[in-house]
Parts: sequence; structure tokens; C-alpha cells
Amino acid sequence: MSTLCAARAKFKKLPGLLELTDTHLQWTQDGKKAPTLRVPHADAAALFSSKDGKPQVRLKVALFNDDEGHTFTFSAAQPVALNERETFKLELTNIVSRNRSTREASVLKPPTTPSAPPASTNGSSLRPPVPSSYATPSRAPSVSSDGRASGTPSNNPTSDFRLRKKVLVKSPELASLHRELVMSGQITESEFWEGREHLLLAQAAAESQKKGRPGQLVDPRPQAVDGGEIKIVITPQLVHDIFEEFPVVAKAYDENVPAKLSEGEFWKRYFQSKLFHSHRASIRSTATQNVVKDDAIFDKYLEKPDDELEPRRQRDQDVDMFIDLNATQEDHDETGNGQDVTMQAGKQRGALPLIRKFNEHSERLLKTAMSEGSPAKRRRVDSADPSDPWNHYSQIDLDDLHDPQASAGILLDMQDRQRYFEGRVGAGKSAEEAPRQAVDLTAALAEATQDLQGWSGNLAQLKIDRKAGEAALVSMTQNVAARLDVNKRKSASVPSFTGVADFMIHLLDDIPEDIFGQMRTCQTAANEFLRQFWASIYPPTSDPQTISAPATPAQKAAKAARMAGYLAKTPEKVAAIVNAGQAAGIDRQKIEIGMKPILDAVEKALAFWRTRKQPVGRP
Amino acid sequence: MKFFIDDLPIIFPYDRIYPEQYAYMCDLKRTLDTTGHCVLEMPSGTGKTVSLLSLIVSYQQFFPIKRKLIYCSRTVPEIEKALSELKRLMEYRIEMAETEEQREKEKNFMGLGLTSRKNLCIHPEVSKEKKGKVVDGRCRDLTNAATMNRSREDPGSVQTCSFHDNLGDIEGGQLIPQGIWTLADVLQYGREHGTCPYFTVRRMMPFVDVVIYSFHYLLDPKVAEQVSKEMSKDSIVVFDEAHNIDNVCLESLSIDLTRPMLDSAARSVNKLADKIEEIKTTDASKLQDEYAKLVEGLQEAAEDEDSFVNNPVLPEDLLKEAIPGNIRKAEHFVAFLKRFVEYLKTRMRVLHVVAETPLSFLQHLKDITYIERRPLRFCAERLQSLVRTLELSRLDEYNSLQKVASFATLVSTYEKGFLLILEPFETDNATVPNPIFHFACLDPAIAIKPVFERFSSVVITSGTLSPLDMYPKMLQFTPVVQETYAMTLTRNAFLPLVITRGSDQVAVSSRFEVRNDPAVVRNFGSILVEYSKIVPDGVVAFFPSYLYMESIVAAWNDMGILNEVWKHKLIFVETPDANETSIALENYRRACDNGRGAVLLSVARGKVSEGIDFDHNYGRAVIMFGVPYQYTENRILKARLEYLRDAYRIRESEFLGFDAIRNAAQCVGRALRGKTDWGLMVFADKRFARADKRAKLPRWINQYITETAANLSTDMALTLSKLFMRTISQNAGENLTGVSLWTLEDVERAQAAQRAAEAEADAAAAEQERVRAQAAAAGGGEPMDEDEDEDEYYAGGLSDTVLGAIDLDI
Repeated sequence: MSTLCAARAKFKKLPGLLELTDTHLQWTQDGKKAPTLRVPHADAAALFSSKDGKPQVRLKVALFNDDEGHTFTFSAAQPVALNERETFKLELTNIVSRNRSTREASVLKPPTTPSAPPASTNGSSLRPPVPSSYATPSRAPSVSSDGRASGTPSNNPTSDFRLRKKVLVKSPELASLHRELVMSGQITESEFWEGREHLLLAQAAAESQKKGRPGQLVDPRPQAVDGGEIKIVITPQLVHDIFEEFPVVAKAYDENVPAKLSEGEFWKRYFQSKLFHSHRASIRSTATQNVVKDDAIFDKYLEKPDDELEPRRQRDQDVDMFIDLNATQEDHDETGNGQDVTMQAGKQRGALPLIRKFNEHSERLLKTAMSEGSPAKRRRVDSADPSDPWNHYSQIDLDDLHDPQASAGILLDMQDRQRYFEGRVGAGKSAEEAPRQAVDLTAALAEATQDLQGWSGNLAQLKIDRKAGEAALVSMTQNVAARLDVNKRKSASVPSFTGVADFMIHLLDDIPEDIFGQMRTCQTAANEFLRQFWASIYPPTSDPQTISAPATPAQKAAKAARMAGYLAKTPEKVAAIVNAGQAAGIDRQKIEIGMKPILDAVEKALAFWRTRKQPVGRP
Repeated sequence: MKFFIDDLPIIFPYDRIYPEQYAYMCDLKRTLDTTGHCVLEMPSGTGKTVSLLSLIVSYQQFFPIKRKLIYCSRTVPEIEKALSELKRLMEYRIEMAETEEQREKEKNFMGLGLTSRKNLCIHPEVSKEKKGKVVDGRCRDLTNAATMNRSREDPGSVQTCSFHDNLGDIEGGQLIPQGIWTLADVLQYGREHGTCPYFTVRRMMPFVDVVIYSFHYLLDPKVAEQVSKEMSKDSIVVFDEAHNIDNVCLESLSIDLTRPMLDSAARSVNKLADKIEEIKTTDASKLQDEYAKLVEGLQEAAEDEDSFVNNPVLPEDLLKEAIPGNIRKAEHFVAFLKRFVEYLKTRMRVLHVVAETPLSFLQHLKDITYIERRPLRFCAERLQSLVRTLELSRLDEYNSLQKVASFATLVSTYEKGFLLILEPFETDNATVPNPIFHFACLDPAIAIKPVFERFSSVVITSGTLSPLDMYPKMLQFTPVVQETYAMTLTRNAFLPLVITRGSDQVAVSSRFEVRNDPAVVRNFGSILVEYSKIVPDGVVAFFPSYLYMESIVAAWNDMGILNEVWKHKLIFVETPDANETSIALENYRRACDNGRGAVLLSVARGKVSEGIDFDHNYGRAVIMFGVPYQYTENRILKARLEYLRDAYRIRESEFLGFDAIRNAAQCVGRALRGKTDWGLMVFADKRFARADKRAKLPRWINQYITETAANLSTDMALTLSKLFMRTISQNAGENLTGVSLWTLEDVERAQAAQRAAEAEADAAAAEQERVRAQAAAAGGGEPMDEDEDEDEYYAGGLSDTVLGAIDLDI
């Protein structure tokens, strides 16, 4: 039984896990093993969900035999919960519509008895032929709440228009190239993206990644509207955050809405109350407190600001001795003169609640991050057990002073090791054998000895032609002189171009911006054509990422021909720029030098095309 | 590894050693051999503590006369770290011992750390108390001599502490097995065996080879008299992290009195009077005995452990003479105290600032109240004797009175180097008086003088002691060795940058006139934002004062700057409460460990800046916002500067600059441990660009500040930082061994080279002598130096054995 989707949700106010398997919708309370609630697919009659604006994300599943149905409240943060609900809705809508159609077809059969477990017997008989996409067990259970997997019509990210747009928006350079080539119809959309699939895949991966909680403090800032009024936009996310950050507001909401105050009234009065101003993460809030009027309901929940030197909430947490600041403070009697005014902590009283809020907020974020992380990582992070001396040793250790071989390394755990190595040996043997025929040292030496036999006599006979000797010496001297010369020049700091790039920059310095822009456009366009051209010439990469169907040889040939056509026009374009440049009074040579590399590349491609075309062209 | 320095075998608990560690040990040994004092500046994070302990323990174990090591550090985390270091060293030594006998010797080596009752108490109720004073008071009630006597005579009549009682059954010197015990270990042992950790350590002090405690236990005469009196003269004293030692010296002899304290003291005096009346009727003989004893002369009657008011005066000033007659009688003394407290209260009513010398204070006191100087001097002693006689309980409530008595004794003992300042208002524009009577010590040499006189070897060491001659000047001693070590690195492991202006070219500075300028605040903020974007894991930022940090944090929040930081990192801030800050610090570290990343905002000279390390991922960048100058409007500081100028010829600006830079360097230096660790050090203030400021930085930092990096705008600094991080994140690749890391062979090679150099120098000197003699004889002619340049030939290819085996019959 595979899970189609899953999410954390509350049922009857108890936290748990809601899962949709391929036969049932089930909910398991936290801490229990077996699902508390199991609804067969065939029972689902209708779906209801709370409006998007509401603080709580609810989903109600009505059953054929029970109109009350079951209501689940998604417990993740607002945007995540909404996504999760969408996933469920999508899957369940299919099931519900299927159920409805079968019901109608089966001429109003009396509803099955509620107690009967209809899953296996009844359900299967009722169920219409399941669409293959659901039946295939190969579908991976997706726990992540990405709407993409089932939401978009095609699962192939490389042909997703939305993704392409996003990539283009992200990279203005690519967008301008796209505008020039695709919009002008020179190459097609799919050609453009060919070879750039990795960008789309990266974008798709980035989108499917689940974002953690944003770090910002909950601090709704009022926007001024004309007429001296202020406005605060309340989003469901904001409500959720406020409840989490300030439990006292959640408490007030629970106690007063809707009995005493309507939802809108509640928020209106909250944002005008002293309570809100004490919650604002601003030092100014203390000043505004006098301006804000009293509010009978909210003032009950008001707390004293936490601005004493000692925090209101004392925590008896054991701190690691290595970072225990309190122990230092208590190590000896306080002596000496008191600190001066600038060094007394907490003098700026208004800032203290703010600082405490920072620390608490960070701690809360950290806790959610820790609870979300994978257990392996958590174990690694939490392993800091202060009582373990090794942990303390590791904090004082200088690891580079240990011998490097002390580390054991990580064992490569490979499956089917034997086959792998044997295969290698077979293949590698012939190749390795050649260099293995190591030179037999003694034999070689014996040979060398033989060669050297009678060396003194040979040496005495050696006569060097005088001219040749002198010529060699002269050339050597010249060489040295030349090097000296170069060194001298270098040290005399004569401005010299260290590389081609520098040279080019220097060269292009005085070209006006518009001509330069034209040159650049021409260059990028030609580059793109070259890329397309060579891509269609060479065999496709065996990259599994490229999902798009490989083009047939005929298509490729057609494309190559088209590209060659474009490329052939490049020299014309360059010539046009050169002329334009000349008109603007620039040395044409400069532009020609600048454009030479691309012209060379184009020429090379065209030459290749010509030689290749001939055998093809001749049947 | 094991190697020799001269004849001394050194066991070093690692396979390799940094060259600076080796040099440090050599200099340290030289100091111990010559029995003198030394000042050593060693780069932060290069294993100063382990080198120090390794050398000294080797020294102690090698020579037959055992010299005790008194190792002082600043904070409890540092004490605990030093103890862990020592424990690991001894484990290594035991493992490395060559003979069974030697192993036994290593096992018998003993080291303990001492801290307050509050930190070492395991009594189920007393340890719950929040305040250290209260823990002290309640502990004394349960353990003092009188209580113990009563309990012995009539068991069950008084409440005692079972943990303390259990110690009484154990033979002295055997309270805890041999070995090294960290504070956590001692607590654990106490819990397991039902014994008191505090008294275990206190009573084991005479038997240990190494004792580790904080500066105060040696420098503060009130504590030193109790704790450190019995330390023998040939002990080796080490002040580690000693860059603030002058402040500890000043603190230990300064006192503040406030009006609430005087009120409390007056109440305590009344309570004393009542108690005397009560005792007179019930047990008059007690007072008689005390009187008789005082006539004979001041003698310590009871154990030192439970003394309450300790004499704040240095031992050499302790007069072995009888307490003056007019305060010998208990009721007379109480009346005397009452008068003195009243006098102080009247002084507090003055509404203008008064600064006077102790002599003028005493004169005025005498004119008004007829209190003489001599009885005043014995105030603290006399109070201690009285408290003991009356067998008072809950002594923490007499705390203020104790302060007044200490004040009386100090003010009548010292004439020079002290100043009394009465400040009726907290700030200049305050309207409600909140008078404080400061008794300020201005001369750090007074408190440390007995230490230098008593102990033959005093080592002053830290990561930041530049300029080195400042400390001998301020503390009035002559070091035999004075050294600073450069940091040898094969690649730059840290990048110091000086940001002088923001990207908008507006200069940044924490100078008082501009620090609240919105442009400066915004530029400081954007430095934080940008660095939180590019730096992985932890970023630590230090501010020059609490006041500035608190106001700038609020301003940043209102300007929306922190919202940008929240996007990338969590934010933790130092708060006034130490425990709260510790928890924030712990969370900060967890955020760095789990990859979320965090920023810690804290204060130079504050709680976090001392003793907490931000090595590796805990601090990839340290940003110093502004120059951490002291508040120069502070009257005590002004008086101190004046004193330094007059007495030691240290100019005001010189001292202020030195003090600011040492604190900045200290903050920034916390980021490194070991040479594979890396970090950015950002100094954000245009004043850091000035050469005279930078010259005051320790050499090991200053040598890596390039000319370009000394004057940057924010965007330039970011570019450099990104470049640095890209290169440093590569694998070290190149071999560090031999250059910044020595193996045993490298050490031996260096020693051989040094011996050769010495021999050569000797020979050269002899040669020169000879030549000069000859020249003198010949009547002129300069000797010429010969410079030989010899190329080396590498055979390469076949090894000698192969060559030898070959038969070349030519």
C-alpha cells in the first residue's frame, strides 16, 4: 500500500498525520501506530474546504453514509498548509467525482452499512477501472507538499513554460538573447532550450525545495493611508504568525471570538490596543503607549514589559561549563568601582524587551528548524553531551597537530564488489601490461656498460668542428642577452599588455557605446548559432537529464543546414558594423580585430559544413 | 611527542608542534631557570595553554624539588578549559611513561581548580540560592567552627551540612584520589561520594602540584590571605590571559559606597549592638575572653575557612600589634562604627562632586568626629573578631557593613595611589541625586607588588600584550624575558580588514560626536547585513559599550536593517543577565552547528568578550564596530590617567589607545584555534586606519594587515572577503609540515641549527677577536668577510644500494 500524499493535520483537535493511500484516507494520532480513522476511497462523497483567507486551513470530507463527515485542520504554517491541502484536494476530487459517477450509474443502491468494512469487497466492486496513473505502484510516495508534481499537466520540467519564463526573468542576459533569436523567429523555442535543460531542471529543483520558516520578526507595520488613517493588511499568514509568536493573542482570540467580538472587530481593536503596542518590535512602542486609548478587553491581557535587568522568565537550565558566564560572575565577590554609565548593561531600558524578543524568536526558529531536520543530522548536532570529557577535549583540541594518518577514512561500502573489480581487471589487463614490461635494470646497465667500453679512447677521438662550436656559443650568448633585455624592459615598467584580454580592453576603450553594443549583440547571436550548429552536428550527449526526445538525423541535418545559413550571413553583419563604425569615425581595423575571433569560428564551422555536405549531397 | 630542550625532556601531547609553541617553551624554560619574571605574547589560538602546561609539568616532574604551579586565569570557562587541557596532558604522559616507576609518578601528579562556594555547592537547598553571597552565608552557618563544636557536643542540636561533615571522617590529604580533577569532575565526585566539593578543594590545596583559579584569588588581598597564604615562595605563578591584569589589580583595592549600603550598614550596626546586649546577659564571659585576647595581640583564633570580613590590606602591611584600646571593648567598637557610618552618610548629602586624597579625608574625619587613623585601620580585623565572638548567622546580611569596614581600613592604610571621589549624581543631567562614594585605587602596581616579591617566577602571558613594555611599566617589575611571537602560516588563515567608510563613502566611526549620525548607523548596519549574507555559520559583532549596543540595536530594528539580517541569520544579543546570555550563547552555537547560521551581538570588555571562544564555525567573521575606548568622562578614569602620567610617564592618549586596541584585538582574536581554522577580522572604524593605532595591535595581527586592507570601503572589503573565503575554503593542499607545523625531526633540526649557529657565533667571535688582535698587532687592515655560495648536487635516480650492487668492471 503506497502513500499518495501525507501531511500533518489535526482531527478533533488532536495532532496527527493525515495520509492518502491508494485505497484509504487515513489519519493517525501522534504517538499511535495504527490509524485511528480509515475512510475507504469509495466512501468519499464530497469535499469542502475553508476559504483561503481564514487563519485555519481546514478540509472536510463528507461521506455517503455520513453527511457530517470528517474535518481535518492542517497544522503546518499557512503557505505550506495551503499547498498541502491543495494536494489532497486534487487527489480527492478525482476520487469523489469517480465515486459520484459510479453511484449514479449503479442506480441508487442503498448506502452500505456504516460498520461494514467496504474497502476490499464493496469498494473494489464499485470502483471503475482505475486510471493507470493511480494503479501503477511505481509512483513514488510524495511526502513533500509540492504542488507541481500533480498540478502541472506535464511532469516534464524541460517543456514547462512557467519554468522557462522564470529562468528568463532571473537572467536578463539570457532573456535578451531569447528576445533576439526566438521572438524574431530565427530559431524555435525548443531549439533555444536544447542544451539548456540544466537551467530548467535547476529551477524546478529550487521550486520544489521546501522553504523553512522565514526569520523575520512578526511586526506588522501600519501603512499610512491618506486622510491620516492607518491600515494594516491582515493575511492568514500574519494571523498564524501572531498566534504563534504571542500566545496571549491566541488566547484572547479563543476567548472572545466570536462570542464577544466578531473576527474583524477583534483585529481592529487589537491593532489599536496597548497590547499590540507592547508586542511591536520597536523601541518607540513605549512612547506611543501613552497615546493609545484603553481597551477593556485587551488590557486584561497586558503584561508588564520585560525590561528588568534579570529576565522575567528565569530558566534553570544547565549550561555547559565552557560557556557558563554566570559561573564567572559568581566566582569571586564583586569588587572594585562600579562600571561607568556606558558600560552598565541594560541602561537603555526600552531596548531590553526588544533584545529579549530577538533571543526568544531566534530560539523558537532554531527549535522548529531542529525538529524538522532529519534525525541523522539532529543526532549529530545534539550529540554535544557536556558530561562527556571527549566532547570537552574536542573543544580544546588543535586538530592540525595530530598526525594525518590517524584518521581512519570512510570505508567505501560497495555492492557486488567482486564483479566490479573482476570486470575491471579483465578490461585493464591489456592496457596495463605494456608499461609493466619494466626495464630490466641489470640488462640495461650491462648494455650501457658495453656502450661505454673504451670511452676514453672515443672521447679523445672526438673532434668538434670549430665553426659549429662558435656558432653554438654565439647563439647562446644572444639568447642570454635577449633575456636580459626583456627582463630589463619589464623592470623598467614599460606599459605592456599581459594578455590578450587586456589588449582587447585597451583596444576597445574608445569605441562608442552603441557600436560596441552592436558588436556584442552580433557576437552573442553568432555564438548561439554556433552552439546550435555544433549541437546538431555532434552525436547527442548520453545525459539522462535531457528528457526531450532526441531529434532524428533528418531533423538534425535540416537544422544544421538552417544554422549554416544563418552563420553564412555573419560576415555580412560584421561588415555592416565595420562600416557603421567607420561612419562614426572609428578605425575599422579595431572593429575587425575585435570581431576576428568570431569570424574565425564561423569560418571554421562553415568550412566543416562544406566538406561534410559534399558526401551527403552526392547520392 | 617527546623532545629535549637543553637537558629537560618535554612531553608534548600532540604529534606535531607549531614553531611558535616551541619558541615559547624555550623562553619559558629560560625564565624558570633564571628564576625571574617574564612577559610573553603568543598569538591567540596557537595552543598557548597546552605549551605552557606541557613545559611546566615536564619541569616539575623532572627536577627533584617540586615547585608548585599556581595557574591563574580570568574566567571560569577558561579555568575549566585549562583543567581539561591539564587532564588530557596527564593522560598522555601516563600513556607515554617509559617505566612503571615513572608511570606511578605521573599518576600521583595532582591538579585541582578552585572557585566559589556558589559554583561548587551541591547541598540540595543552599545550592539553589541565586546569589553567591547568600550561598556563602548559609554555607558558613552550616559549617563554621562554632556550629561544628556545638554539633560535636550535642549531635542534632544544630543543622549541619552532611557533605561537609563527611569530609571530617577522611584523612587530610586523601579527600580525593590523585589525578587531575576539573570543576565538573569534582562536582561529580562530590555527588557520588557525598562529600563537599568546595571544602575538598580548599583542604587539598597544600597537597596539589597544580592549582588553577582566577586572578582574584592571588591579587585580591581579602581572598589571597585566605586561599593563597600557604603557597611556598618557589611556586611558579602564571597569569594567563593577563591582558587585563592591571584592571583586576585596581578592582581588588577599590570600593564603592552608596546610600542604600550605608543604610544597611547602619542597620547591621544596630543589630550588633542588640546582640552584644543579649550576650552580656547570657554569656558575658565570651566578650571578656575576646577582650583579653585582643589585649595580647591580634591572633587568628579559628580556621581561616570561615573568616568573614577579610583584611583588605596586603599581608606586609598587617601590623602584628594589639588592637588600639579604644575599640577593644565590643560596645565601644560598635559605637565607633556607628559614628563612622553617620559621618559617611552626612558626606553623601553634598550635592557637588568632591575629589580628595585619603589624607585630606582622614583630616576632615578627625576634625568632625574625632576618629583617629589608627583605630580605623583595624576596623576590618576588629569586626571579624567581633562577628566570630558573637557567633552570628546569615552573615550575608552584614555585607554592607563589611564593605564599610574594608573601606575604613583601606582609606587609613594607603596615602599614595588612591583617590576618593564623591559623585552625587549618576549622570551630568540627572536631577535626582544618587550619590556614590568611590574609593578608587589608581596604581595597579600596589596590588601585584607582593606577588612579585613573594614568588620567584611570575609568568605574564596572553594573546594581546602589545606594546610589551607597557606592562612592566604599569606593574613596576623587571622581566628577564620579554617576547612576542609572530604567527607562522603557510597560507593566511585569517584576513584582517579595516573598513573606514561605507559604500557611500561616508566615514564610519564610533566617535562620540558622530556615532548616532544616521549615516554612520546605516553604514554600520549595512556592514552587518552584507557580512551576514556572505559568511557561513557564525558572525560575531562587538560594540564599544553596552549603551551603544542597546541604542544601535533599537535603531537598526526601526530602520529595518535587522529585517535584512533575519533573512540570512538568527540574531542573538548579549543581555544584562549572565545566565540569560549563556543560554543565548548556547543557542547561538547550536544555530552555527546545525547550519542555520547566526549573528551574536555583544560588547567588547563585556561578559562574552572574555573567555568565550568563537573558533571554527562559531565565528567565521568577527566584526568590531568602532574603537572600544573607555568612557573618558568617567572621573575615576581621569584620575587614573593623571596618576599614570605623573607617576609612570605614560601619556593619557597613549594609555587610552593602548587600552582600546588591546580590547579590540582580544575580541577579534577569539575567532581562531589552530592553523587550519580560518576567520575574517573586520575593524570598522576610520580610526583603525591610522598607523599609530595599528602599531598597537599585536604583531601577529598587524603583520597580516596589508596596505590595501588598511583603508577600505564596505564594498571593497566585501570583495576581498569573498575572494579570501573562496581561496581558504579550498583544501589546504600544500604541506604545512616543516614551515608552520613541526614534526619531531623538524624540532631536532631546528635545535641542531641553533646549536650550530651558536657554535659558529662563538667561533666567529673568537675568530674576530683573534683577527682584531692580529690587526692591532699588524697595525691596521679590516678583516674581510668571505661569502661562500655552494650549490648542491642531487644525484637522483638510483639508490646507493642499487649502485653498490652493480659491478662496473671498466
